Amino acid sequence: MVEESDTYHIRPNHRLKFKPAVVKRYIHDIVRERLSDMQYDPETVAELTRSLAESIKDKVKTAEFDRYKIVVQVLIGEQRGQGVKMSARCLWDADTDNYADDVFMNDSLFCVVTVFGSYYY
Amino acid sequence: MTFEKLLLFLRVTSRWQQRLLSAVRKSGPDWAFSPSKPVRLPVFFQFTEPKGGLKRGQLAGMEEYQNGSEGSFNSEEAENVVKEGIESVLGGDDYSQTHVNKWTAAVVERCLTQLVKLNKPYKYIVTCSVMQKTGAGLHTANSCYWDTSMDGSCTVRWENRTMYCVVSVFAVCIA
Repeated sequence: MVEESDTYHIRPNHRLKFKPAVVKRYIHDIVRERLSDMQYDPETVAELTRSLAESIKDKVKTAEFDRYKIVVQVLIGEQRGQGVKMSARCLWDADTDNYADDVFMNDSLFCVVTVFGSYYY
Repeated sequence: MTFEKLLLFLRVTSRWQQRLLSAVRKSGPDWAFSPSKPVRLPVFFQFTEPKGGLKRGQLAGMEEYQNGSEGSFNSEEAENVVKEGIESVLGGDDYSQTHVNKWTAAVVERCLTQLVKLNKPYKYIVTCSVMQKTGAGLHTANSCYWDTSMDGSCTVRWENRTMYCVVSVFAVCIA
């Protein structure tokens, strides 16, 4: 990944920055493909959450955001009319780092995916 | 630096080391360079190199006192910080739709400011989910592409009578 060679780049090139729109599209596609006809099942959902996180991470890696560290968080919950609130705060370099998120709901479950990208100087 | 000063620098405390030091003192300064007065060293006296090899300007045997556990992310410390942050904000309250926005924002902000006070060279990402207790299930998974030796995460689950709170902290090393 981030080879230990020093590039001395303090900022990524504008074209190579973490693009939230691109990543959001990836998340959107993967989640809809995997979850659109899925029902909440307590036995399988744990494994599903894990594998969803892995596949989203692999997909974002193919976008080749050079020297970016990626953190993917997936939250899947059952729909029972309860209230949920999720928030995030980050201490980072707002010029180079960014995030993308997406929410998916059907009648039996909801899924929130957040992807954070942090530049490695 | 003479050998005697070097030994003193090592904060010689054990008995055989003290005996060695007194033996060196008796033989006078610069004993190492006077072949007429050799001092027999105990066989088991060894200089050990600090972990990570010698830094420039460091003599063999000098330990690195200042760079102890600063390497990877200390998740216990972060966990304590987060637990205290959640407790202070959500402490004795029941789930309330009107307040939950304010609570989640307060929890993340508090955790983040406390983490920053630890003064570590990390970028932090803190997420908080608050869910009402209705018997529904909730699952979280994280997948990270980073430097496993330097970066780390910690997740804290907290609950009270009416709600669950899950806070995740991701710490990404700067260079």
